[in-house]
Amino acid sequence: MLINTVLMFLRELLPLFLLLATLLVWHRNHWRRFILLFSLPAILMLTLFSSNMLWISEQLDGFGLELLYSLLYTGCFALLCVAAAKRNAAMLLSAFACACLLSINGSNLLLYIWLPTQGNTDPSALLLGMALGVGIGSSIAVLWYYLLTELKQWRMLSYRLLLSLLGVRQLMMASALLIQSDWLPAGPQLWQTEQWLPEQSELGFFLQALLGYEATPVLSQGLIYIAGLGLLLWCSRNLKNNIRSAQ
Amino acid sequence: MRSLRRYLVTVLIALFTLISFLAALQSYRQSAGRAEALFDQDLQVLASSLAQQYQAGSQQELGLALQVWQNNQLVYRSPLAPDTAMAESAGFTEHNFAGKRWRVFRQTPTALLTVIVAQPLQQRQQLADEVITASIYPVVLSLPLQALLIWLVVSKALSPIKRFSAQLASKKANDLTPVELEQVPAELDQMLKTTNLLFARLADAFEREKRFASDVAHELRTPLSVLQVNLHNASQQWQQSGIADPQDSMLALQAGVERMSALIEQIMLLNRTNPEHFQARTEQLDLAGLCRQVVADWYPQIEKKQQQIELLGLEHLSLKGDAFALRLLVSNLVGNASKYTQGGGAIQLELLTQAGKAVLIVQDNGPGIQPEEYSRVFDRFYRVGGDRHQSGTLGSGLGLAIVRDIVNLHQGQVRLGAADSASGLKVTVELPL
Repeated sequence: MLINTVLMFLRELLPLFLLLATLLVWHRNHWRRFILLFSLPAILMLTLFSSNMLWISEQLDGFGLELLYSLLYTGCFALLCVAAAKRNAAMLLSAFACACLLSINGSNLLLYIWLPTQGNTDPSALLLGMALGVGIGSSIAVLWYYLLTELKQWRMLSYRLLLSLLGVRQLMMASALLIQSDWLPAGPQLWQTEQWLPEQSELGFFLQALLGYEATPVLSQGLIYIAGLGLLLWCSRNLKNNIRSAQ
Repeated sequence: MRSLRRYLVTVLIALFTLISFLAALQSYRQSAGRAEALFDQDLQVLASSLAQQYQAGSQQELGLALQVWQNNQLVYRSPLAPDTAMAESAGFTEHNFAGKRWRVFRQTPTALLTVIVAQPLQQRQQLADEVITASIYPVVLSLPLQALLIWLVVSKALSPIKRFSAQLASKKANDLTPVELEQVPAELDQMLKTTNLLFARLADAFEREKRFASDVAHELRTPLSVLQVNLHNASQQWQQSGIADPQDSMLALQAGVERMSALIEQIMLLNRTNPEHFQARTEQLDLAGLCRQVVADWYPQIEKKQQQIELLGLEHLSLKGDAFALRLLVSNLVGNASKYTQGGGAIQLELLTQAGKAVLIVQDNGPGIQPEEYSRVFDRFYRVGGDRHQSGTLGSGLGLAIVRDIVNLHQGQVRLGAADSASGLKVTVELPL
């Protein structure tokens, strides 16, 4: 129970924390406004989805939840692309991108915590697992924030690349859900790295949260990944100037 | 980094949390693994024990001792169990048999049936140790990692202070430009601003001092020149008019004005050659040629006093230096030697190289000065014997101070000593080539 809770929280929170930390580096001079802009739609969407989870999951031949999640992941990617390209509404769009991700991960966590089966389990193990998961995730995010602050100062290209990887990770998650619900053809498997780096290991979790690591990706995912990465890198070509003008 | 405190607190807390939680997670995994192995082992023992119950005479080592008593009759015992009852009282007890210490559990489910099970204490301790060690290992192993990361984080946090300190340390004495740092943390910001403000105030003060001395000397020059001319005219008129001057008041006045004029010239030169103000224009020059020019300049006065002067040693000595300053240095030394040496005395200049340095020695056979005065004569306005110098020569007490400044400017050395002759002073100047 303990280990499952820790892994569940890490899997859900780490991508959100990494994205938040990355975007806070961008909007560090107006971080209070950014948090406010992110929190309001995030709470609204989270409440809406979690209260209608059952109804959503029954739609579209039982794939309603998967399709909604893939839509939110794609929306998150698209918002990041536009935010990186446009100077004016960058903060608002970034905040909405984070809100999209929070609505997915938050819904999953609420579902996990309030599952009927949880009633028979030891609540202290659940609480300890939550504390460990949140502690590890937030600690990585803090270190990630300071690392990116240094990178942004000296190596803007590295910051752009990491932001693009985080963005394309959301597209990768969307593609996995679409393949799962047969809305996207899978194609042949590209490689198999499960033996060397399992997705369920700590490093696997981190890489999955950072760049959408898949131990067994398929062709369509590979193509989407390359196209998405290229698009976000292109959109963020003037990111340095955008950040300067924002500060 | 905007604040050292915030950076250190957040990063260190994050590091501690991350490493401690990962270590705890690893401990949990390893302990769970060991505990699972332990439970599996118990299952194995139980299975073996049951198997033995149906295989009479089996001597397989179980690790457990088992006895079953019925109506006070031993109906079953495992190979390690003794013939007598392993425990007399119900529940958990500890006993010795078969050369070991055992933990024994006796249970009497019915009045006629008693089951006694025993396990060696050493085996229990070993299993407990395995579980505890598995849980402690990740915590202990994470300590060096924590230490390394703390060192890195603290070094990183203190790097602006280190850069600030390095910039201050690399500053030359006359460099009063402000210290510039990128990404100054809040804690260092005020210190940097105050330091730069002090530098600015100090630079202003030096500039004012420099201008003041120079301006005062310059402003005094013109009225003094006018005073000298008028004194000369007045003296001539007195002579022509036959006005008697029994106490030589006019001569004393002229001497005072001359002294003041010389003093002002020296102050201006001292100000000009001060290392803090002087912008040296170094060039390759011939020190021997420069000495010859100075001797030529002073020759009229030397001849007037019927003194002998000679230039010995190298005919050419090339070194890098400021021509104006070095000429002034040699001039002051030769002028001093001539002024303080009696009429008919001898002055000697010698040029040589020694240990990669140019050496200029100026000595005379005048009265010289006492060794205890050597260090003081370089002080500004200090004259041996005060104004009543035994030579009766006019002086400002700035000549050797100027010499010292010029030598410092060229990173050289100046020493005083007794002349090679019976009396006199020997000045040795060493300059890098």
